[in-house]
Amino acid sequence: MAHVVLKDLVKTYGGFKAVNDVSLTVNDGEFVALVGPSGCGKTTTLNLVAGLIPITSGDIVIGDRVVNDLDPKDRDIAMVFQNYALYPQKSVYKNLAFPLQMRKLPRDEIDKKVKEAARVLDMTHLLERKPRELSGGQQQRVALGRALVRDPAVFLMDEPLSNLDAKLRVQMRSEIKRFHQDLKATIVYVTHDQLEAVTMADKMAVMNGGLLQQYDSPAQVFAHPVNMFVASFIGSPAMSLIPLEASTANGNTVLTGAEGWSLELSPRNAQKVAGATTRKVVLGARHSTIKLHKSAVAGSVPARAYTVEPTGDVTFVQALLSGAIVNVSVPPNIAIAPDEQIWLEFDQERMHLFDGETEMAFQAN
Amino acid sequence: MTIVTGKAEARRRLQSGRSGVLWKMWEHRADYAYVLPAIAVMLIVIAYPIYYTIELSFFKTPPGLQLRDKIYVGFDNYTNILTSPVFWKVTWNTMIWTLASTFISFVLGFGSALALHRDFIGRGVLRAILIIPWVISAVAASYIWKWIYHSDFGVIGAVLVGLGLADRPPNFIDNVSTVLPSLIVVNIWREFPFAMIMMMAGLQTVPEQLLSAAKVDGASAWQRFWHVTFPHLSSVSTVTILLLAVANFNSFIIPWIMTGGGPSNASHIWITHIYELAFGRQLWGVASAYSVLLFLILMTLGYFYVRALSGNERKEGSA
Repeated sequence: MAHVVLKDLVKTYGGFKAVNDVSLTVNDGEFVALVGPSGCGKTTTLNLVAGLIPITSGDIVIGDRVVNDLDPKDRDIAMVFQNYALYPQKSVYKNLAFPLQMRKLPRDEIDKKVKEAARVLDMTHLLERKPRELSGGQQQRVALGRALVRDPAVFLMDEPLSNLDAKLRVQMRSEIKRFHQDLKATIVYVTHDQLEAVTMADKMAVMNGGLLQQYDSPAQVFAHPVNMFVASFIGSPAMSLIPLEASTANGNTVLTGAEGWSLELSPRNAQKVAGATTRKVVLGARHSTIKLHKSAVAGSVPARAYTVEPTGDVTFVQALLSGAIVNVSVPPNIAIAPDEQIWLEFDQERMHLFDGETEMAFQAN
Repeated sequence: MTIVTGKAEARRRLQSGRSGVLWKMWEHRADYAYVLPAIAVMLIVIAYPIYYTIELSFFKTPPGLQLRDKIYVGFDNYTNILTSPVFWKVTWNTMIWTLASTFISFVLGFGSALALHRDFIGRGVLRAILIIPWVISAVAASYIWKWIYHSDFGVIGAVLVGLGLADRPPNFIDNVSTVLPSLIVVNIWREFPFAMIMMMAGLQTVPEQLLSAAKVDGASAWQRFWHVTFPHLSSVSTVTILLLAVANFNSFIIPWIMTGGGPSNASHIWITHIYELAFGRQLWGVASAYSVLLFLILMTLGYFYVRALSGNERKEGSA
């Protein structure tokens, strides 16, 4: 196993920067998820690491070697693809043996390694089958096996669960996590599903528009998103972002909504906003940090229920507030009707405040 | 006493063999009506000529006689054909013509498809140029090549003499031993673009991720071709080869226009020979017997073609 370092990595297509100055370090044995919406550059970044496309500038280090100009086969990596990319004409055994044959290993050693990989992934009984005779989950396991037999320094995985149905995806998610724990493997994992990233990865790199937005542990990214994009992308349902106006009156900092109500900030939050160059402040709050009241209480603001979605465990209420939709979760026994007048109380300790111009989070000094 | 309702009766009839089939056909009567005109046309222009050809193949039709005065000779036409040395000569020519044209066209077409599959400057222009032989009329192409091969005024002869490689222009198509290969060259020139287009279409369906996977697994360019691209193209290759083989077996224009089968039957293939027997020498009976034999051979090829196609469907169906 080995660590991976990306240094000022750039990939341009014509004038378009698909990957824009990405730098990050994946430590030995770490599971890192590259996550972001379609077209954010995550798969391009992975392909750059794999060597399937040439880099425009920057450096890629795997282990202690700069691999910028090496062929994929010389980078000591293995890759798992979204559609598994199994050789359809070859049996499972031959699929697993292929990377070893290409490395000209002796036949008995290949046999040993293939059987070992099949045993680890519990597919010894499938060795003689053709890929088309396997289920999606089994095919994905063969693809993992083909990566495993090589004993590579780094595993690269490109949305390996996207083609599976929802139930199987949850199951394979824990299998891959287990795979990582057992092997202490260094894994770079691309996904557009923030839930996969949050549940599996040691660290997640959130990308958007070719830029690395935030690189930290899932807990940190969840609790302290650096900007509005990360805040809205991580977490389900998404964090509500409410555009407000900041002003100071009698030494207190107050946020005013479009409807005219105002909310006084706690001293700690007021201090964050104090240094702002703009009066536009965006309040971010996750559904679980907002309290819903049926009548006005101190510190609450008036809103209107828009839609109500019972899910069994909790009921999600979407409310209209200052021109934004706010997600609130309430216990299922509280009945709310659409268009009902409600009051929302934000938890000052767990709310997020963003600069309305730069979209960056205000930091406590 | 049992009371049989209409519905129960219908169900009973559905379940019982023959009347069930008739019942199903009756339920689909509109569908049969839709295809009826097409079937009628087919019967007139295909089925009747086939029947008449088979009938004629058992008769002798001396050139001076009217067709309605034809003389019944049983299997004489067939035995005469199978025992005549010309038949074996023509069959041998047809085999060489078909196999060589098909194989070389396929290899050349596949090669060009692979070359054109990569991205390089001028690819579009080159692709357009390579398709030209296939689009121009076979008759025009035959006349052009006749001039190119011409022993007095031909380009090839002039170049060879000019370069000092030959004392005098070689005689390509008036020579018993060079005529067939010369015609095969023309045929390949004309039809390799077909194989190229088929294989180009096939190449576009090779999954990119599979090639990437092979690259990561350490396969060289040749190994990627052999382990990924080539197996993926096996079904399109089979279809291309079969279509080429049928087209070559049925060739007529190039040999007929360039040599008319000569000199001394050296470039006669089945179709040209049948045409000459029928329309040149008015031996309708013999030509018909030849046609029936050809028909049987082509049906066999057709059987394999359909089997190759449905075999692929079965494979994909179970995927």
